[in-house]
Amino acid sequence: MIKTDLNLRNPLRCLGGPAEEVLAPGQFGCVLARAGVGKTALMVQIALNAMLNARNVLHVSLNQPVNKASLWYQNLFAHIASDLAVPQSGQVWESLLPHRFIMTFRTDGFSVPRLEERLGDLIEQNIFIPRMLIVDGLSFDEPVREMLSELKKIARLHGLQVWFSIRTHRHEDPGPGGVPKQLADVDDLFAVALQLLPVGQEIHVVPLKGVSLTPEHSRLVLDPTTMLVKNASA
Amino acid sequence: MKKDIQRVRNIGISAHIDSGKTTLTERILFYTKRIHAMHDVKGKDGVGAFMDSMELERERGITIASAATFCEWKGHEINIIDTPGHVDFTIEVERSLRVLDGAILVLCAVAGVQSQSITVDQQMRRYKVPCIAFINKCDRSGANPFRVVEQLRQKLGHQAVAMQLPIGLESDFTGVVDLIDMQAVYFDGDKGEEVRTEPIPDDLQELAAAKRTEMLDAVSMFSDELMEALLEEREVGRELILAALRKAVIRRELTPVFMGSAYKNKGIQRLLDAVNDLLPCPADVENTALDMDRDEAPVALAADAAAPLVALAFKLEDRTYGQLTYLRVYQGSLCKGETIVNVRTGRKIKVGRVVRMHADQMEEIELIPAGYIGALFGIDCASGDTFVAPGLSLTMTSMYVPKPVISLAIRPKDHKAEINMSKALNRFTKEDPTFKTHVNPETNETIISGMGELHLEVYIERMQREYGAEVAAGAPRVAYRETITQRADFDYLHKKQTGGSGQYGRVAGWMEPLAEGDFEFDNQVVGGAIPTQFIAACEKGFRECLAKGPKMEFPVTGIKIAINDGASHAVDSSDMAFQAAARGAFQQGYFRAKPVIQEPIMKVVVETPTAFQGGVMGSLNQRRGMIVGAQDEGALCVIESQVPLAEMFGYSTVLRSLTQGQAQFTMEFLAYKQVPHSIAEELEKKAAEQKKKVA
Repeated sequence: MIKTDLNLRNPLRCLGGPAEEVLAPGQFGCVLARAGVGKTALMVQIALNAMLNARNVLHVSLNQPVNKASLWYQNLFAHIASDLAVPQSGQVWESLLPHRFIMTFRTDGFSVPRLEERLGDLIEQNIFIPRMLIVDGLSFDEPVREMLSELKKIARLHGLQVWFSIRTHRHEDPGPGGVPKQLADVDDLFAVALQLLPVGQEIHVVPLKGVSLTPEHSRLVLDPTTMLVKNASA
Repeated sequence: MKKDIQRVRNIGISAHIDSGKTTLTERILFYTKRIHAMHDVKGKDGVGAFMDSMELERERGITIASAATFCEWKGHEINIIDTPGHVDFTIEVERSLRVLDGAILVLCAVAGVQSQSITVDQQMRRYKVPCIAFINKCDRSGANPFRVVEQLRQKLGHQAVAMQLPIGLESDFTGVVDLIDMQAVYFDGDKGEEVRTEPIPDDLQELAAAKRTEMLDAVSMFSDELMEALLEEREVGRELILAALRKAVIRRELTPVFMGSAYKNKGIQRLLDAVNDLLPCPADVENTALDMDRDEAPVALAADAAAPLVALAFKLEDRTYGQLTYLRVYQGSLCKGETIVNVRTGRKIKVGRVVRMHADQMEEIELIPAGYIGALFGIDCASGDTFVAPGLSLTMTSMYVPKPVISLAIRPKDHKAEINMSKALNRFTKEDPTFKTHVNPETNETIISGMGELHLEVYIERMQREYGAEVAAGAPRVAYRETITQRADFDYLHKKQTGGSGQYGRVAGWMEPLAEGDFEFDNQVVGGAIPTQFIAACEKGFRECLAKGPKMEFPVTGIKIAINDGASHAVDSSDMAFQAAARGAFQQGYFRAKPVIQEPIMKVVVETPTAFQGGVMGSLNQRRGMIVGAQDEGALCVIESQVPLAEMFGYSTVLRSLTQGQAQFTMEFLAYKQVPHSIAEELEKKAAEQKKKVA
């Protein structure tokens, strides 16, 4: 009951269609922003939303240890719970945890075969069967097309929705159509792209591709103090 | 006792079990002339190493209780605390680190950085203890000190810098190259007591030059003068390097690495030089206490022997002549004959004998000045107590003491054993705050509780060896708890008015889950529905119910009880009647509040070669474990999980066979969580069977 309430009040629904699914299985989505704007925060909220719907999330972090990644979830959930005055939030949190698995790699040690091997360990032994994959910290400054194509195969095979964080740079001008350079080369692989843009005191969530804001929710922002996504026009 | 604080070092020797720290301490004591013969930890001569003063430690080859000892090296006074390496005894390690100014992190040249080294390193980080590293066992087959230096960087995140090079390795290990002086150092004589320096062997010249440059590059980051000298390609002196190095070590920004073999008596003297040169003296370290009069505001302590006294009791031992209390004086001096105050109890104590410890031998002294470690005789206190001069109300930050998670019943074999057992338990509980004991009033059994299987096993063995108390131990039991999950009302009337003096009391209110704390009682009765004099009886009645929950007879925690109505009788109401009414009300409301059983969940961290990752995760999963994450670190992988303690018995054996003995794990208490329905049913079944048996 509480979980349903949390879902109904989830501002990310403003991006989804009737099925509330922004991505279909096997599809890629990405969150683009400059360093420190809130890519991880937004992705963790997407993950929390999936976990509230009892979908397993495999969070792959390439730059943060397990504890730190875990802390993101804990803090954001605590903010959501206090924001919505969720009763017995401790119990809800406990029920969410089995739906999350954090895997961290050192940036130089990450490769698709390695991830596939780890994923195989989890699925074959029925330890954890993910439905969503979050890849945080992969550098898109180097050529990644080959790696992403391999990942796409895995995503299709296991029916995974995959979200990536993409770091953009202040000094680089966006390409045609406002698409940042990092995404331009691999644009065709992504079904959805969201950009975080700091505007004054606010951080706007701008759909670049695949989704649009519903008419009743014309503006989506990231609250800089709590890092929670909020529907500014509501 | 000399009082030059610049020449005092309080150091600890920390490491993974079996890295050779007790042997190293033994050798240090020999070279500093505190002992005149050396014995091996698992020696054939039956004497054992000097620091392992307990018989059991000698037999098992492990150090259980940290013994404090004192020695002198080249005009410096060094206090050494030998700390245990096994994870079940980490309260000892933590207590030691609390009072230390610096540490030697001992690593095995073959096994490298092991799981316990990681735990110990985290503890050092928590207490901000600067350290130098010593790579021991360079004479062993498979020794590779540079791999260990790399692991120090990668696994522990230390900015590790080799200060020496080994000359030969494994059976050819003969000495070390000193990269500061650029000379080869050999250890001659039967016991390595004669240090001989020679030019560096030709085959090592090039490597030594490269490693020296690497070392100077790292050290120069902490000294402009050194950096300039290097840039100008001037000759850099020993003093300049040491000064920069010392600065970096004290700030915990650089870890110099030394090499040797304690067992083969090589490299120890140079390590002692490094203790003098690089580790901080008490004045270099800032210590703070909490001011009890100012809402525990932190107060910086001055390592000044003339200031008012602040000292911390960090270890207790029961000796033939009474309790021996190990203390570290942080400020002022602790003098024989003076009056001091125990801040916790407020009790004034006259200081009797003041001694300096040398493992299990002692030396009488007049005073312990600031920065020193010493011991007092015949003072009744608990470990962790702060002693101050009269008029001060400072307390040292209290150490985090985890609650016991495992218990087992022990039964003495005969009357004599019973008396000795009680003596032993009395001592152990005072010495070790994580070890608890109580008597189960129903079965009359003595229950001991602690932090792990080995923790309790060692105490049982110590009872037998040190006190001659033969005890039979039952199977380990997990400390389950009960709690409620929702609010429920109660309204109970206790009425007994047939014959004799009557009893009458009605209690009404509600109970609800309490997020923090074990129990809260809220009296909201107005208008005298329950007369004020009976409110305490109501609370007492409720509290009595908490010890044994109605569901499974486990202690009830996390519950708030509020009463808001009731009734009394002018003649028949009494304390007893209201206590009975409260008990009845508790029973009535409890089952409506959907009680559940909770079990201790442990944070289990397994460090395994990547090849076994799948198998290890499977083994944790089978044990109802929830895997939080897996951290890939190249050849090794660290799996973090949360597993119920009840499923962890014997896990070390399983893990060993699963990974060909290549994986390690650590386990610590995390939280109490609800037992799954199926397991709760099983527990209920077992409890019912037990009851039948008793009946």
